[in-house]
This record gives sequence, structure tokens and C-alpha cells, in this order.
Amino acid sequence: MLEARNITINYDSRIAVKDVSLRVRPAKVISIIGPNGAGKSTLLRALNGNVRPTVGEVILDEQPLQTYARRVVGQRVAVVAQEADVRFPVTVFEFVLGGRYASANVTAWGWESDRDIELAQNAIAETQLIGFESRLLNELSGGERQRAVLARALATEAKIFLLDEPTANLDLAHQATMLRLIRSRCDTTDSAAVVVTHDVNLAAEFSNEVMLMKDGRTVAYGSPAEVLSEQLLKKVFDLHVLVDAHPVSGAPRITPVHEMKSVPPASAGGSIDQ
Amino acid sequence: MRALASAVNPSLRPSPKGRGRKRRLAGALQILVCALLLALPLACSRTETKQTSNSPTHEVTDEAGRRVTLPAKIDRIVSLAPNLTEIVYAVGAGDRLVGRTSYCDYPPQAKAVTEVGDTLHPSVERIIALKPQLVLVSTASQLENFTRQLDEQKIAVYVTNPQSLDQVFASIENLGQLFGTSEVAAKLVGDLRRRASAVDHATATLKPVRVFYQVSDQPLYTIGHDAYLTDLIKRAGGISVTADVPTAFPRFSDEAALASKPDAIILPTGGSMGNANSTVAPALKTSPAAVNGHVYKINDDLVSRPAPRLVDGLEQLARALHPEAFK
Amino acid sequence: MVGTRHSSTNLRRTLFVCAGLFLLFVLAFLISSILGAQRLSFDGALCALTGKSNCSLSAEERAILFDIRVPRVLLAGAVGTCLAAAGAAYQALLRNPLAEPYLLGVSNGAAVGTMAALVFFGAHEWSRPVMAFAGAIVATFLVYRLARGRAGATPERLILAGVIVTTFLSSAIVFITTVMDATRIRSFTFWLLGDLSGTTSNLLAVAFAAAAVGVIALVMNARALNLMMLGERDAFDLGVEVSRVRLIVFAAASLLVGASVAASGSVGYVGLVVPHLVRLSFGSDNRLVIPAAAIAGATFVIVADTLARTVIAPRELPVGAITALIGAPLFVYLLRRGASSV
Repeated sequence: MLEARNITINYDSRIAVKDVSLRVRPAKVISIIGPNGAGKSTLLRALNGNVRPTVGEVILDEQPLQTYARRVVGQRVAVVAQEADVRFPVTVFEFVLGGRYASANVTAWGWESDRDIELAQNAIAETQLIGFESRLLNELSGGERQRAVLARALATEAKIFLLDEPTANLDLAHQATMLRLIRSRCDTTDSAAVVVTHDVNLAAEFSNEVMLMKDGRTVAYGSPAEVLSEQLLKKVFDLHVLVDAHPVSGAPRITPVHEMKSVPPASAGGSIDQ
Repeated sequence: MRALASAVNPSLRPSPKGRGRKRRLAGALQILVCALLLALPLACSRTETKQTSNSPTHEVTDEAGRRVTLPAKIDRIVSLAPNLTEIVYAVGAGDRLVGRTSYCDYPPQAKAVTEVGDTLHPSVERIIALKPQLVLVSTASQLENFTRQLDEQKIAVYVTNPQSLDQVFASIENLGQLFGTSEVAAKLVGDLRRRASAVDHATATLKPVRVFYQVSDQPLYTIGHDAYLTDLIKRAGGISVTADVPTAFPRFSDEAALASKPDAIILPTGGSMGNANSTVAPALKTSPAAVNGHVYKINDDLVSRPAPRLVDGLEQLARALHPEAFK
Repeated sequence: MVGTRHSSTNLRRTLFVCAGLFLLFVLAFLISSILGAQRLSFDGALCALTGKSNCSLSAEERAILFDIRVPRVLLAGAVGTCLAAAGAAYQALLRNPLAEPYLLGVSNGAAVGTMAALVFFGAHEWSRPVMAFAGAIVATFLVYRLARGRAGATPERLILAGVIVTTFLSSAIVFITTVMDATRIRSFTFWLLGDLSGTTSNLLAVAFAAAAVGVIALVMNARALNLMMLGERDAFDLGVEVSRVRLIVFAAASLLVGASVAASGSVGYVGLVVPHLVRLSFGSDNRLVIPAAAIAGATFVIVADTLARTVIAPRELPVGAITALIGAPLFVYLLRRGASSV
């Protein structure tokens, strides 16, 4: 579907991403984690053509990304970034409907079709924003706005989702809901998602693959169990963590250790404390 | 307006079943139609107004070199400058004046005439409504804008822009000829020339007084090389300390004014200027002129309007600068 | 405007709103053609305007009506259309409800171009709109580059950029006036504030053509502008050809401002007041805002110009003074409200 092949990106006179490769496959969710400045967001932006790699290329559906018209890319790749800073009176419904632009028959002045409306309504329902349709976007809280951004991405009917810190402003309930939504979308429609997140536990819970980045390079890339180990996490975040298994799901559970005095020696492969 | 909007019951379902392309065409068409509708009145707007009158006409060349077609007898005149209004009355055609600017205030009878706006922006509508046969225009900038509109209405525009005493005399004679009052004009010019010559003779042998002519106090403006007043002062027996400064009404620096040390200061004030410019500028308060009390106010209308009263101005200037020569 | 309910705009609503505004425009057109420095009989004028022939108007009155007044009212309409549509476009593109050709200095840029054309190429009437367009493009470019920060053009950056560009260009204008002779300076000062009296049929035609071309170009990109209003990156992600749309919209807006300034000097605040009122009433969807602002703008300037030429008749006020009197307080009001929670 979407692939980054050995890309290096120079950004603001420094090298933001160094020789990174990534492969997005149907029904797979990839999480990218790492400290600030690791190049995660830059990598994400390169995946839909927002940023051009200096070396290497991004391939979409077997062809280089550059060869596609913007509209076509917009139909296949949807982005969920930080909530929009909107200074005009725009309703939630209008906002979500904006996602139908790339699929429109006529982008110039045409109006949305019945199907467009339906898809927008579905997306609003999925993100639990029913009742918010006529509210103005800048009247909503940060979390509600974030859900509206997700709804817009869902409305595009794209098969590939790129999400940059989608849970940043969400409360606990909605954090899980959002990722569960993405997960189920990927599973039911063979879509794929690349999620940049700071929340390592959510990454562990919902992804098929995790990429750990530091200073623009890939430190590790594999299944959550492989990548989310105490050594690797210490190496990248310079933080002592405890990795065990989530009691219900069995996914790796990462707990930072703050006390400096009684740090248990890291045992190989992680240990289950109980 | 909000009531209107909500009255259109915002339905979430878009209306016509057309394809996107049809809608886009409809939209573009709608705008084009609007544009065309707007342009329609333009197409039908050229109207027939001034039918060529059956009275005889002749062609003259005005003082800007333009060829102007005029009827032999001119009964309705519009003047667009105060000095031209004064000349019209002076040559005896004042009773034929039907329009003036808001600033034409001399002679007093002029105030009863219909106003048509100001010198630079007269109301073309009012002028047309007055049905004049001739419009007198002075400044060049007027020519650009509205003379074209008057041309389209077949209203003759005559440019006369006297910028010196001799040009005023010529203008009086020309207008007298236009209005058929040549004898009155000739007599007037004769009188004016006599008076001017008298001043010339009286001041010919006298030592010129160094004069600073203050056009405005703050900011400080004076007359320069290109102003006709510089020459007028010379005739009145003075020499403007700013006679060599380029342009007609330069903005003068305070230091230069102080350094010029004039022996007399002329303050054009009063008339249509009111109380403005009635005091000497701060930079000149220590000049020999101010110290010795040789500061003379003169009615601005007498010197800033190139008209018959310019000779009054000349006389007053001469009397102020050389009181002993005019007992 | 807390609690204003908007919903998705559709074609029917747009046409309805535009038709309503167009009726208002026609009404304003008729009334303004009848009013003026010279009194015309109401019945006679109305009769003549609707095309009948046996009306009780003298030949002079007909001349006043059709040769002087109607062209002027049409020009006022064209200027209003150009400026309001351009204002709506700048606001969408620069993501700021306070963007406006006059405040941004674009009008000044066009004015510098026009004045340069008058001073250096005076004989060629066509040089004026062409150089006005060039001046507008240069000013637009300057403001865009200056105002663009990481987060797009915030209100503060925009006003700052606008002030810088406006004052810089005003100095250029003053410089050019020193090269001119004294008699022209006064009429220029008047013209700079908006002067609709110097209509030639050429300039009127240019204004119309520019209005039609510019508005159509903007309307064709209205949907893309809706998305760009939310952020260029967002728009890019959603499939908008951002650089192409930006180029076309800037070019169209400069064309509109250039043509209007070349014809009538810089009339300020139209691009601020009209699009904003339209948004307040009908929402921010540019597919409706741009055509509606175009029509409402025409009405606004026609009314302002009628005031300008009747209030102290037979003398005239510059029409820009009237629009500023209405627009400036509104601008202050918008600024204080933060212009975001409307």
C-alpha cells in the first residue's frame, strides 16, 4: 500500500530523518514512538507528500508518491493531525463534510452529493459526535475537536490513516475509543494506520508493529513485544521502565520507574512481577 | 437576515439531482448573467442631448491651445474658478453668469448665482442642468476628468489660466471679445495698465526692499522662482529673498528662513483665508523685518487670484514697501 | 454570536440568497440613479430607467441620468463587487477575518502603480489598470511573505505586515507626488480616498471585465478555499493543490483590486465589512460567501457613493471617507471581539 524506502529528510538545516524504511500493509496498525525531536512527525508528513525526502522515496500503491495528483493522494491517505485552529464560524458538520473534497466529481464549485452527506453522518456517529453537528467548531473542547478531526478523516473513505498524536487531548474513555475505532476500521475494511504517539501503552495495545525512533534513526522495528523491552526503552528514553504483561489483554505493559534507589536489576527478556 | 437564513429551512439534503458539472455550469452562468445585466444599461446610455443649435457658431483657440466651438452670442456662462468669476463681472458679462464654484465670492452679486461645487470637483450634473453655452476652466487638472464628460454633452469648455499681470490683461481682453464686451474690456485693461505703470515708475529708482512672502506660518511655505507673485513683488519695488528657490510654492526650512534676514514680511491673510496666516512664523520673529515692525498684512484675495484686483494688490504691496513714494 | 445555528450550505440556499441580494442591488441601483446633486423628478426618472420613452424628462435631465449618473452608479457597483470579493478571498487565504485589501496595503500598491502610470505613461489610458494590477500583485506578495509564520497568518502578524506594507507604499506615494506639479496634488489626494467621478467608458469596461473574470475565478476555487481557510497543511492533506489555488486566488484578488483602484482610487473597508456581514448572516462556506459578497459589495458602495455625492451637494466627499466612517468602527468592534467567536 504505502512504503517509505530508505528515506532521509533534511529539515531546517539539520537531518530530521536518517535512512528510515517503513511498510504499511492492509489491516495493520504501525505505531511510531520515540522522544521529542526523534523525527516521528516529520516521517509521518513525508508519508503523504507534505515533506519531500532528500534521499529515498515514498511509494504509494506501487508508484512514487510524486506522480500522483493531490486529489488522488487525498482519496487514499487521510491525516489526523493536531486539532485545527479555526478562526471562522464553521459547524462540525461542515468541517467533517470537508473530507469529501478529494472524492468529489467536481472540486471547483460542486456541492456534496447524498452519499457524501451520508458518509459524513456515519463518521460523526462513529466518533460519538451526534448532537454536535450544528455546533461551531471553536465552541468545542479540545477533545471534541480532536474527534471531529478524526471524523473528517473517516469520512474520506481513505484506506490509509496517518495519525499524529491523536489522543493528546482526549480523556481516558475517548482515548481508548479512538484507537479502538481505528483498529476496527483497519480490521473490517482492510485499511491501515500509522500512529505517532507518546502513549507507549496504547501503542502496545493496539498496534501490530512498533517503530522506535531516536535522533531520526530507527532503533527498532517489529512487534510490540520485540520492540518494547526494558533495554531498548532505556536506551531511547533514558528512563528505567518495568515491562510486564497487561493482565487482561496480555499486551506489553510499560511502567516507568521513578524511585532511583531500589531499581531491580533488569532481567533479560523482561519479567512478570507478582 | 438571520431570520431569512433560517426561513430557508437548512435541510441537510442538497436539492437538485443534477450532476456536479451541471451545477458548476449553472453557477458560472448565473454570474455571467448578472454581469451582463449590469452592462446592459451601459449599452443604451448614450443619449441625444444638445442638438446643434441653429444659431451661428465660430471657432476660437483658447489659452491652452485647444480649438473650441462657440455660439456667436453667449448668454449662459459657468465659471469654475474665483478669479475667472471676477474677470467675467469686470468685463461686464456678470449678468450672464449662471453657475459658479462655492468659493467665488467677489463681487458680492456673485453670491446669488447657483453653486456647482468646487474648482477641482464640480458637479457635472448641476452644470448640465444649467444649460450653459460656455464653461470657463482654469487649472490643468480639471481638464483630465470632467471636460470629457462636458464634451460629450456638447458643452464648450474654454481654458484660461492667467499666471501673471500681463496674462491677466490678455485674459480680460480675450474674454471681452468672447462675450462681445470688447469696449468695456479695453477700457478696463487701459485703466489697469495705467495704474500698473504708475507703480512701475514710482519704484523704478528706489532700492528694492528684501521681502519674505509668507504663504503659511506652520508649516512654513513661501513663494519660489515660478510663482507670479515673485515678479509682482519685483514690480512693487521689492525683491523676494526666495526668488531663486525652484517651484512655485516651496516648503521652506526654518533655518533658511532665519538666515535670510528679510527687511519686510508680507502676510497674505483675510478674505477667503479668514484668520489663517495672520502671525509671523516663529523662525522669523527675530528678523529685521519683525523687529522693526515692517510686517504687512494684505488681503489674500487681492494677490492669490489672477484677476483685475491683482493691480490693487500690486498697489498695496508697493505702498507697504515704499510708503514715502506714495503720499 | 453564540448559538448561531448553521448547517451545510446547498445550491438552493445559495441561489436563494444571491437572488435576494440581487434584488436589493437592483433597488439600490434604481434609487441611487434617481438621487444626486441635481434634483430629478422621481416619476420621470423611474420611468426613464425602466426603459419607457415618453417620460417627463427634459433632454438635459436625460443626459444627467444616463450619461453621468448611471455610468457612475455602475462603476460604484463594479468597484464594490471587486473589493468585496477580493476581501473574502484574502480572508480565506490568509485565514483571518480581518484581512482586507485596503488594510493590507494592496490598495496602496495598486495606487502606486496607477500613479506611476499617470506620471510616466500619462497618454496611454491602458497603462493604468495594468500597472495597478502589477502594484497590487507586488503588495500582496510582500504582505504574504511578511505575515506568514509557523501557524499561518495570525491576526497580529497580519496587521503588522499590513501596516508595514501600507506605510511603505504611502511613502512611495508621497514621493511620487513631489515629482508632480502642485495642481495635480490636490486632485490626487482626493482620488486616493476614492473618487468615482472620473468615469471613462474604458475604465468602466475594464472594471466590469475584471469583476467578472476575478469573481468567476474565485468562485471556481471556492470549495478549495473552504479547506484552505482551515489551514494550508490540512487542505493539502485533504487533496487541495495548495500552491496552485494560492496562485490563482492571489492573482484573481490582485486583478480585482487593481482594476477597482485604477478606476476609482482606493476605497477602503469594503472588503472588510461586506464579507463579514455575509458570513455573520449565512455562514462561512465560500461557495456562498464569494458570490453573495460580490453582489452585496456592489450595493454597499452604491449606497456609500450616493451619500458621498448628495450629503454636501453640489460638493462631494470622497467615497472612501464614507466607507471608512462605517468600516472603521466595525473593524474596532471585530478586533475587540477577537473576531473568532462570531
